[in-house]
Amino acid sequence: MTKHDAARRAFLVRAAVGAGAVAGAGLIPDANAQNSEQHKQTSAPASAHQHSSGSEHGAFFNHDDAATIAAFTERLMPGSPDMPGASEAGVLNYIDLALSGAYADLQDFYRRGLAQLDAYCRKTYNGPFQRLSAAQQDEVIAALEEGKATGFTWPTAMEFFNTIRTHTMEGMFADPLYGGNKDFAGWRLVGFPGAQAMFTPIDLQSKQAFTRAPMVGLQAIASSQTRKG
Amino acid sequence: MATEKTDVVIVGVGAAGGILAAELGKAGMKVIGLERGPRLKTADFSPHDELRYFQRQDLRPNVKRQPVTWRPNANVRANPLPILNYGNQAGGGTVHYGTLSWRFHEDDFRARSHTIEKYGASAIPADSSLADWPLTYADLEPFYDRAEYELGVSGKAGNLQGRKIDGGNVFEAPRRREYPLPALLADQSGVLFEAGARKLGYHPFSSPRAILSEPYKDRSGCTYCGFCQSFGCHVGAKSSILVTKLPEADATGNFKLLTGTMCYRVNSDNSGRATGVSYYGPDGSDNTIEAEIVILTPFIYDNTRLLLLSKTEKFPNGLANSSGQVGKHLMAHMMPHVFAAFDDRFVNVYMGPSAQKHSLDDFNADNFDHGGLGFIRGSQVSVGPADLEAGPIGTAISMNPPPGIPKWGAAYRDFLAKYFARYASIVAQTENLAYADQTIDLDPQVRDQWGMQAPRLTYDWRRPNELARVEFLLRKMEELGRAMGATHVWRAPLGPGAPGAHHEGGTRMGNDPKTSVVNRYGQSWDIPNLFVIGSSTFPSMSGFNPTLTIQAVTYMSADAIVNRYKKNPGPLV
Repeated sequence: MTKHDAARRAFLVRAAVGAGAVAGAGLIPDANAQNSEQHKQTSAPASAHQHSSGSEHGAFFNHDDAATIAAFTERLMPGSPDMPGASEAGVLNYIDLALSGAYADLQDFYRRGLAQLDAYCRKTYNGPFQRLSAAQQDEVIAALEEGKATGFTWPTAMEFFNTIRTHTMEGMFADPLYGGNKDFAGWRLVGFPGAQAMFTPIDLQSKQAFTRAPMVGLQAIASSQTRKG
Repeated sequence: MATEKTDVVIVGVGAAGGILAAELGKAGMKVIGLERGPRLKTADFSPHDELRYFQRQDLRPNVKRQPVTWRPNANVRANPLPILNYGNQAGGGTVHYGTLSWRFHEDDFRARSHTIEKYGASAIPADSSLADWPLTYADLEPFYDRAEYELGVSGKAGNLQGRKIDGGNVFEAPRRREYPLPALLADQSGVLFEAGARKLGYHPFSSPRAILSEPYKDRSGCTYCGFCQSFGCHVGAKSSILVTKLPEADATGNFKLLTGTMCYRVNSDNSGRATGVSYYGPDGSDNTIEAEIVILTPFIYDNTRLLLLSKTEKFPNGLANSSGQVGKHLMAHMMPHVFAAFDDRFVNVYMGPSAQKHSLDDFNADNFDHGGLGFIRGSQVSVGPADLEAGPIGTAISMNPPPGIPKWGAAYRDFLAKYFARYASIVAQTENLAYADQTIDLDPQVRDQWGMQAPRLTYDWRRPNELARVEFLLRKMEELGRAMGATHVWRAPLGPGAPGAHHEGGTRMGNDPKTSVVNRYGQSWDIPNLFVIGSSTFPSMSGFNPTLTIQAVTYMSADAIVNRYKKNPGPLV
């Protein structure tokens, strides 16, 4: 995982530079940051499904599908010692709950998508997604994103990728009330303070990160309104 | 099955219907408003929840229960659109909208004539049905003024009775007086945009918005919380119909709102007269209202759909459609955008009223010379968050990373972590021309929850005039991003040909009953006691958001109904 991320970044830097004066090139974290992160990550678990913190499920997914979604979403938003990822944020828990509630109409979309993903991985790599190396998992995800993964009918590979990506972002950044963004992991990652009731003229003039008030979630706001009566 | 009688029935109580309910009620007319959604209140809009309101579109029609389909051309099958950007409750889109409140330019009302005078007829694409309006800016100015003052719009005048004022929009048409409320404060994206635009010689200003910058008419001022586009306002500072006109309508004692009701047919006899409407109640019941005047004010799809579904022997091609123009000339804004990210500072674009925060009008309408550019008409340009809404879900989904960075994985995570609070989006809003083959009709295969055929859009914005305009604007916006001092500037990918925001057209107004559906008052040429009011009547769309113009046109129609039609029912033109 660690080596692959570093290699991926190096590739992306090369790709960006190779493409000429592409705006994005400078957005890749500098080499020092990569090295320090790489160093810290050498002792980190080798693959996502070993993170226990994000494996909450039980509303919809069976055990194998939960492991697949946990591993898949962690590759989409990987954690590092400095940065919370999908597992730490509880993205699996978010998707599991959503599929038993608001997104119940997508249950078959997920079932079939997961079955097709499993067939593709077994055929191409002789194993289920969650047992592949991080590099192989990334290859699989890229093949889905580009529509190159074979054997997908409905959902198509691209549809399945796009939906999991969207739901991963929802699980990272939706209010913790919905089962993801655990302990505001996603909001801490990007520096979003939640639904503040107001920003002052001084806040609006600031060129710094917002720190005046703590992050605030829906339940805290709702209970404060209840107290006010 | 219930039947009741009233003077006026209004179908759809949103930006236009809410005004009519209040104005006709004040004139002593008995009014029933049909609204398919609920009536919410300010207390319902706290706390703000990005998943519920932005991502799951709680204030908008459910795409599965109320599908609208789209196809790029008539040779392919239409598929349901994934997002519908209009309202689904009393107050309509004004509950969740970004509140941009513009007066159209003088030349917006005569875009065809103006283009021919300045550039020759050949400048207009041969297949475009670009048309002048049957009214002028001067006709509408008193009603713009009324809408701004009655509803509450914040801004700074840039043209007071012909006197240009720096700091306002110097390209705006002359206004009789200042805005009722001072402009909203600029956030950091606005400050950066202002400085960058000035550096390039442009004329930036704080966008006029229907948000109270100060307390007004017993309502609170804005708290700059940032939850506007997609959200209801938790303090009632957004001048939505919910907090402005519906209380006025209630106070008349003449208005009755029926929520959870779906109008499925306009009833008419074969003498050329509408007799009322039929609707399904919240319990599925089938009901009828008999009315002296029928006014259709839903979002544009349902104007066309209702007329097509209400065909009779006299009108076999759809009610009030002797012109054959119902459903034609669909228009929508495209919103190409450029991202600007800063390594040396935070921008915190999630603060302050969301949507199009700070604007410039230098590239809109014919405010610049189009000679040799290969396109006509222009675009508003503004700064704001990636998807007009600034929360992290919307940003993660709408802010495409620059070339070289994938949309997932550690590099993406690092990109989002670093730039979520350090970027701004510069967005254009293009005045796409009308084309007769861009249409709304009834989908032969898809039906909604009431069993009614879904509206089907046939539309592809990727026409030569529109593509040339988008490329021109993307370059201007990249220059702006660099002038703002951004470390990184990159383009967002262009979407497919689907219509973007602010759909307009379908029941075009005009001077000639042969080529238009309604007259300048939204009155049907064929059926004088049937009115269709809203952006479905716009012959052209301008580069501005439509709501204030919808509301000004509505005030004009209300004025004509109260002061002329009521005394002497019949054709107003």
